[in-house]
Amino acid sequence: MNLMQKPRMRMKPQALARWTDRIMRCVLWVIAIGFIAVLLIFVGAILKQGWPVLNLGFFTKMPESLDAGGGIKPELFNSIYLVALSLAVSLPTGIGAGIYLAEYAGQGRVLRFFRLCIETLAGTPSIVLALFGMIVFVQTLGWSFSLRAGAMTLALLNIPVITRVTEMSLRSVPPDLKEASYGLGATKLQTILKVLLPYSATGILTGVVLAAGRAFGESAILVFTAGTNVSSRFPDFRLTAPGESLAVHLWYVTSDGTLPDAREIAAGTAAAMILVLLILNLGVRFIDYRIRKRTR
Amino acid sequence: MLMLKAMPSTAGDPARDAVPATKMRLSIHSEGSRGLRFLLDRGAHSVFLACALVVVALIVGILVFLSLRGFAAFLPLAGNTGRTLSFAEVFLSTEWAPSSDKFGILSFMAGSLSVTMLALLVAAPSGILTAVFVTLLAPGWMKTLMRQVMDLLVGIPSVVYGIFGLTFLLPLISAKWLKDSPAAGFFAAACILMVMIVPTIVSLSMDAFEALPRTLDEGALALGSTRWQSIWRVLIPAASPRLLTAVVLGMGRAIGEAMAVQMVIGNNPAWLSLMREATDRAPLIRFLFTPAATLTTELVQELPNTAAGSAWNNVLFAMGLLLFLMTMGIILATRRLGQRGAV
Amino acid sequence: MPITDHQEQKPVKLRARNLDFSYGDKKVLDGISMDIFAEQATAIIGPSGCGKSTFLKCFNRIHEVSSEVRVAGDLEIDGVDIFRGGIHEVELRRRVGMVFQKPNPFPKSIYENVVFGPKLFGVRDRDILDGIAEESLRKAALWDEVKDRLKESAMSMSGGQQQRLCIARALAVNPEVLLMDEPCSALDPIATAKIEELIFELKKEFTVLMVTHNMQQAARVSDYTAFFWLGRLIEMGPTERIFTNPRDRMTEDYISGRFG
Repeated sequence: MNLMQKPRMRMKPQALARWTDRIMRCVLWVIAIGFIAVLLIFVGAILKQGWPVLNLGFFTKMPESLDAGGGIKPELFNSIYLVALSLAVSLPTGIGAGIYLAEYAGQGRVLRFFRLCIETLAGTPSIVLALFGMIVFVQTLGWSFSLRAGAMTLALLNIPVITRVTEMSLRSVPPDLKEASYGLGATKLQTILKVLLPYSATGILTGVVLAAGRAFGESAILVFTAGTNVSSRFPDFRLTAPGESLAVHLWYVTSDGTLPDAREIAAGTAAAMILVLLILNLGVRFIDYRIRKRTR
Repeated sequence: MLMLKAMPSTAGDPARDAVPATKMRLSIHSEGSRGLRFLLDRGAHSVFLACALVVVALIVGILVFLSLRGFAAFLPLAGNTGRTLSFAEVFLSTEWAPSSDKFGILSFMAGSLSVTMLALLVAAPSGILTAVFVTLLAPGWMKTLMRQVMDLLVGIPSVVYGIFGLTFLLPLISAKWLKDSPAAGFFAAACILMVMIVPTIVSLSMDAFEALPRTLDEGALALGSTRWQSIWRVLIPAASPRLLTAVVLGMGRAIGEAMAVQMVIGNNPAWLSLMREATDRAPLIRFLFTPAATLTTELVQELPNTAAGSAWNNVLFAMGLLLFLMTMGIILATRRLGQRGAV
Repeated sequence: MPITDHQEQKPVKLRARNLDFSYGDKKVLDGISMDIFAEQATAIIGPSGCGKSTFLKCFNRIHEVSSEVRVAGDLEIDGVDIFRGGIHEVELRRRVGMVFQKPNPFPKSIYENVVFGPKLFGVRDRDILDGIAEESLRKAALWDEVKDRLKESAMSMSGGQQQRLCIARALAVNPEVLLMDEPCSALDPIATAKIEELIFELKKEFTVLMVTHNMQQAARVSDYTAFFWLGRLIEMGPTERIFTNPRDRMTEDYISGRFG
């Protein structure tokens, strides 16, 4: 008993601990507010630099290669077109793979192996995917720098994201719902198509929007697969057309340096991209809000 | 349904022939479509499996194609136009001068490592502490706000980070600290990278803290610890395997980032010698503000200028292969960490 | 008004007067007034959701950490108000130890678990820490089982051992009161019996306040029993009297198993 009386008498460490507690709480607040400030400064600086450039002409003119005053019409088109094309490939594949992992792969080695592969693909730097796409689509298949090569490689970026979000959404379906469907004599496929997918559709949709946002902002992949040129026709839906996107345009004008107004064009492009992504983000929030409202 | 009802009753087995007519039709209906349903069910299984196998095929494909092109640098293959290099002169040399046949990539590896470690130096502690704050201390509105801030930060494209660095951060640093001399280098690149990888570290660390049982926190508090003591002595150690995983995955993102870093780092393949020569500034300042290069920035910078089959081009693909192997290593390492955490 | 009676010689250790408690808008405790005597075991029984656990946690203010709560009324320890009497909540929690429903050892070694508290209060001396560890483990009737594997992870122990380790950990900071929130609910009958035996020993030295949903346990272990229903104290008295001669109809119905 005597041994234990001693610590009680020493009040000093406790006072110190309380002060540390107070100070660390302040430190944590400061760090958190610091990140909010970084985001505000960031978005503020991009929008402020780009704002004077953003007018209707900027969005509706063709880009110039040597003179000032070019627009971003084909790049904006290509960005959206590339995202749509890549989703056309990655959506069925990703959802299919997600269904397999959630419903067929069981819990053992098979699942662990597939998860490992998906994590690896998700963690692969986009520059490495770019090299792969360049070897396979641009060179081996002879597609050269084109929308189709860009879209296919972009799909590699999306597949793991969509697979994961599909798997997670399917796993979050309450088991009794599934059992009820089987109880009515439905096959596995019917259960998946008619019960599980509708139930988890909103969750998957959130993931798809996120994947679309990532693909929209991707540049490294597209520099090496879709190229840094645009078609002279507009709109050019041909899959073989060169497909410079907004992100690539932004990078190319700053690093190439032949445009007299490269700075303005880059600032305007960056602001336009931020605006598109903010709108996408609001879209995700909206879906999220709808989900919560429904499940409440 | 109606169509099936009209089908002739030949499918029924003899035992069921005694069943009254109305029930008969029902059983025909289920018999007839059951075959189709199960066939579809089988088919679907194969289709879904094929989708999953696509991912596996991609991993194998990346490995095979990058290896073919990467190892071409070291093997006398048919498509090669340049000479065959040795491993030592590529991986152990810092001399990079493709025009004079020097292909040492050690300085790029050092560059990747330096910029990643600099970024992690700030991103790891601040990311983990932010996760602590959001999961354990912040009031509800602040939690929501911080989640949205992190979502937005992770959604910003790397070129936009790059342009911010180029037009805002670099001029600011050079005007404030460097008396208008150029600021491109590891410092600026690490600043940008840090903001890019913090959301990854925060969200994975938040998962780690949320996975801890609440009773752990309460147990520490009930013994008379302050909130911070509970966090520092119990919760962070208990979550440490998963926190380490978060940091390692953040590191993976930092090593692989190309465009943003390329736009602010200055792209000087001979940065090591430049750093050695410029003795007018303190070593740390020299290290932070000398234009430099990394594995990824060199790929972005030089790949478009090289011809397929040349030694130069092959070495660039070998760098890509190296990046992919690092990714695999990192993912396998996090697996190990995860296993340790589970025990 | 609740029925309370006692013929107690021991001093009052904890006192509640008109205690109201709400989580947000939800009222959980309604006007509880109750005395808990030193060096006695007091058991609180009642159906789940009756507020008994919440009442227990008021005495070390642990619920305030993670949720929005509102408290009205008085709580005293040794006659000092725990909300307004100038006792820092951290100091309060050291004096009022707690054992939780589910064993919650820290993912550290057995030894580190026990000396966690003393280390918080600045004890660095190895010999003193070793002494505290042994003494606490002995009091928790765990020493003989673990003395050869103090460095092993606490997670490798059985559930019953973990719970006794948690008791040892609470004892190591030399508390005056031990709060026990259904300490045996996650344990098998043999481990439960050991913990009950232990509580019987502990109450000679500490004030024990325990919540249980097991009426036999209350009858076996405690000196006083209080019956809670829907956030109110219905009846409190010496355990023997409560179980043999309950004065409130509700108490009688509950202990005879007619609801709950």
